[in-house]
Amino acid sequence: MTDPVAERRFREIVPPLLDDAYTLAKWLSRSPTDAEDIVQDAALRALSALSTVAVDRPKPWFLAIVRNAAMTFMARNRRETVAYAGDLTDLDALDSRGGGEAAPNPEQALIAAQDGERLRQAIANLPSPFLETLVMRDVSGLSYREIAAATEAPVGTVMSRLARARASLAKTLGTEP
Amino acid sequence: MTKDLAMTDRDANERFLRLNAALDGELDAMASLAFEREMRDDPALAAEYERLAALRDAIRRHSPREAAPQSLQDRIAALVPPPGAAAAAVPFRRRAWLDARALALAASLAVLGFAAGAGLMSLRAPSSDVARTLVSDFASAAIAGQPFDVASSDRHTVKPWLAGRATVSANIVDLAGFPLVGGRIAVVDRIPAPTLVYRHNEHLIAVTELPPDFKGARAGGGIETIDGYHVARWRDANLAYVAVSDADETALAEFVVAFRHAAGAATEPAPP
Repeated sequence: MTDPVAERRFREIVPPLLDDAYTLAKWLSRSPTDAEDIVQDAALRALSALSTVAVDRPKPWFLAIVRNAAMTFMARNRRETVAYAGDLTDLDALDSRGGGEAAPNPEQALIAAQDGERLRQAIANLPSPFLETLVMRDVSGLSYREIAAATEAPVGTVMSRLARARASLAKTLGTEP
Repeated sequence: MTKDLAMTDRDANERFLRLNAALDGELDAMASLAFEREMRDDPALAAEYERLAALRDAIRRHSPREAAPQSLQDRIAALVPPPGAAAAAVPFRRRAWLDARALALAASLAVLGFAAGAGLMSLRAPSSDVARTLVSDFASAAIAGQPFDVASSDRHTVKPWLAGRATVSANIVDLAGFPLVGGRIAVVDRIPAPTLVYRHNEHLIAVTELPPDFKGARAGGGIETIDGYHVARWRDANLAYVAVSDADETALAEFVVAFRHAAGAATEPAPP
């Protein structure tokens, strides 16, 4: 027996957000099957939370749960370094070049070209904090403030992660042969 | 890029952050105005903006939101039964039996000249629906091993839990021989109704409390048997009660007497 109020809220909130949730979970776990497990776990967490909370802005709220479920899942099931922090070396190196310069000069033609696979690969290589920020912004359309709430980071950190993620993608695309 | 060379790293960093914020529509009105002016005066800035916008568009195009697989959608949908699914899930055989029973009940109501208007609006007598819903709740809760959602023998814990979820204020009593074990919410006709779960030896008794004018409410009377469970219904000045139990008839009857006596301290006894 679950709480009927929670069930009603759940039916209103969660199903419309499954695409966003699945996309985020798949990027973070790099696995379609794991993504399904993560989203299911997140949905269970959401259902139990909805007994006690009413949600104003469902999308950042649910994506935060998905993101946390992904972190838990990866900590539990992965031994190697797909951990949350990831490797920041590349991005730190970028940062030291200075933002304006680092804003790469990717040939527009290259980006516009149908080399989507390389772009997707570059996104997948981003360390998780940068990846999740980019996906929440450019796929799910969250505002900086919403991303800050969902990732438990200050808005300034969100801004810098997003800028550095984009700079890194542009660099990858612009410098690779 | 002589101009860039003159910039410190920090300036460059801020400039790039601002470019991103502008692209993401995160600048406030005044900052946007200033930024647009700067772009007009600084072709390099405008070009950077264009490149960043092209990158953003490429990201959106090449890594779109993906549709959740049907298997996932099904798993999520299965977490919460759609409203009305309980009735739909009743096996055909049992439904036919219940419909026959509803007919019989409607007929007996007609004979008694009782609840003449509302009761006969449909052949499915409302009181039968209420009892059926609650018996089905009781059975599924027992099968699932979750007879209550809040487990507590303390009515001061159970009452506020129920109060936050139900429209009716629950009347909770302490009974000798029938310890309170918890509470849950039953949904009857879309109304969340507080349900108290008491224990008697190995058996459970679930008392659902409804508004006194609820269409399935009944003044009082004997114990019915529905689907192997015993059901007792009664009413006092404030509430209507439906008790469902897997205990035997005698135990349920004793429970009802004890409950009415304890609850009756504040309310008048209902007519037989």
